[in-house]
Amino acid sequence: MALSYKNIAPFLSAGQNRLSRWLSYTGLAVGVLLLLCSIQMYVNINKLLKDKNPRKDGYDYISVTKLITNDNMAEDHSFTDAEIAELKKQKTVDDATPLLANKFLVKATGGSTIPFTTDLFLESIENNFIDTVPADFKWQEGQDIVPVIISSDYLELYNTVFAPGKDLPQFSAKSISSVRIQLECYTAAGTTKTFKASVVGLSDRINSVLVPTAFLQWANGQLAGPAKTNPSRIFIKTKDANNPELLSFLEQKNYHVNKDKTKFGRVKQILQAIVSGLSGFGILVIILAMLLFSFYLQLMIERSKDNLQLLITLGYSPGWLSKTVAAKWTPVYAIIILIPLLLTAIFQWIFQQFAMNGRDDLPVYIHWSVALIAVLLLVLSVTVNYRLVKKLLHKL
Amino acid sequence: MQISLQQIAPSFFNKENYSGSEVWGKTVVFNKGENLHVVAPSGSGKTSLTHFLYGLRTDYTGDILYNNENIKTFDKEKFSLWRKQHISIVFQDMRLFTEQTVLQNLEIKRQLLPYHDENKITCMARQLGIENKLTKCCNTCSYGEQQRIAIIRSLLQPFDFLLLDEPFSHLDDVNTKKAMALIEEEAAIRNAAIILNDLRKIDHLKAERILYL
Repeated sequence: MALSYKNIAPFLSAGQNRLSRWLSYTGLAVGVLLLLCSIQMYVNINKLLKDKNPRKDGYDYISVTKLITNDNMAEDHSFTDAEIAELKKQKTVDDATPLLANKFLVKATGGSTIPFTTDLFLESIENNFIDTVPADFKWQEGQDIVPVIISSDYLELYNTVFAPGKDLPQFSAKSISSVRIQLECYTAAGTTKTFKASVVGLSDRINSVLVPTAFLQWANGQLAGPAKTNPSRIFIKTKDANNPELLSFLEQKNYHVNKDKTKFGRVKQILQAIVSGLSGFGILVIILAMLLFSFYLQLMIERSKDNLQLLITLGYSPGWLSKTVAAKWTPVYAIIILIPLLLTAIFQWIFQQFAMNGRDDLPVYIHWSVALIAVLLLVLSVTVNYRLVKKLLHKL
Repeated sequence: MQISLQQIAPSFFNKENYSGSEVWGKTVVFNKGENLHVVAPSGSGKTSLTHFLYGLRTDYTGDILYNNENIKTFDKEKFSLWRKQHISIVFQDMRLFTEQTVLQNLEIKRQLLPYHDENKITCMARQLGIENKLTKCCNTCSYGEQQRIAIIRSLLQPFDFLLLDEPFSHLDDVNTKKAMALIEEEAAIRNAAIILNDLRKIDHLKAERILYL
């Protein structure tokens, strides 16, 4: 019969210090539960708020206009080149660009698919300010079809309010690209130039109907003449749209900020920060529990020191003793980590079924990364434990 | 197996202290199968010699070789292999697990590398008159009984050398005779060497060589 822990168990004072042993088990289980739940919640937040965050590469993009009040209604509310340059100079502003608007009359007609006609406005902005720029969002002179990016809010409004009221078909984000719209552009003299337009993308960031800058510059020149007009809307790229320094500057200048789009991103950022904090706390608890367990092990080995020394003197290998003593805790660690993993799976199911009313975009099961972290924690605990026992035994 | 002592001497001894010794400072070779008796008065280093041979202490000058391998180069793992398979010992201070029963003390040695089956323990205990102590806690046994337990423990493994450090110091003549007979019987089965240290010459040991420390 091969030697096992059972043979040497009577020679070790394992039964001592039950309190510290159970405290470390509980601490480890709580820490692992906190960590696994935090990771799962982090994944959940990312899934739930996935498509709704216009924040990109760590930047907020906000639209700035001049505040229109009863007192200044008659004044010009456009931005001069000097004002744009001043905005760009601010420490809190990483970049700023004007939104060019059409200077001619535009009407959109839906043709036979969507039988309606509406006055329209067009705007253009530097491509790097747009959250989604499809490859075909380009225009050059002579091109018949003008690519258009519209705000996703407009599509939602069309689908939920406009289309049902007028008995028009509704469109998904994908099918809208197949609709051909006619753009009728009028010169000051009343002549018309017609273009076909195709919605090539939706923007969560910019509330507008965007066309390529090349098209708008050309159309403004051709249809409205060379007279320069200043933009009335500026887009700002900033690291933090809620920076008090930035807000105070804009307020002092009497500029109006449209930050609605950044609020969602901010909520997600805050939620992620809270969950990350919880993960950090979980890791701290795990470290403390492992420290407590290592004290327990040290005490156990210290109390059994004479017996362990005698076993080695009689011919027991220190390597075998380390492996055998450490292996005794492997099933204990496995259970301690498996219980929080099961609890995380149950919490996820409850969260998906009850808190989120069984939403399809949220999985019922835990994310694979949670299971992977649990396995890594098990490997880590067993390795740390083995190395500690080995070190203590070799010191004898 | 062979054990060679190459001019070894305890580093805490002065040279003039051991000028007459047949072991300290000399080259001595112990071969498997021979019985050796080391006789010396108290304080002449009998226990030190046993500990040096078993690799428990290194406070000596010169070298000890196991089959031409210097034991000063051995780590704990290597010693554990030699102690498990080739060298057994009876310590002067017994070194038993005092909180465990006699049987546990014997089984823990037998199980390491079983040379005998578990019935042999009862058989040997009966032979040395401690059969009724097997289930008793070791710390309830007298020194004489503990010495017999230590002797049986040393015989439960395979060995080429058996080191005995004043193994009969707490035994009367009758028990010494019985223990010596058992030791010689077990050594003979293994064709092993016995190195016995004692204050005076033990008549029951059929020693081929007697060395004076």
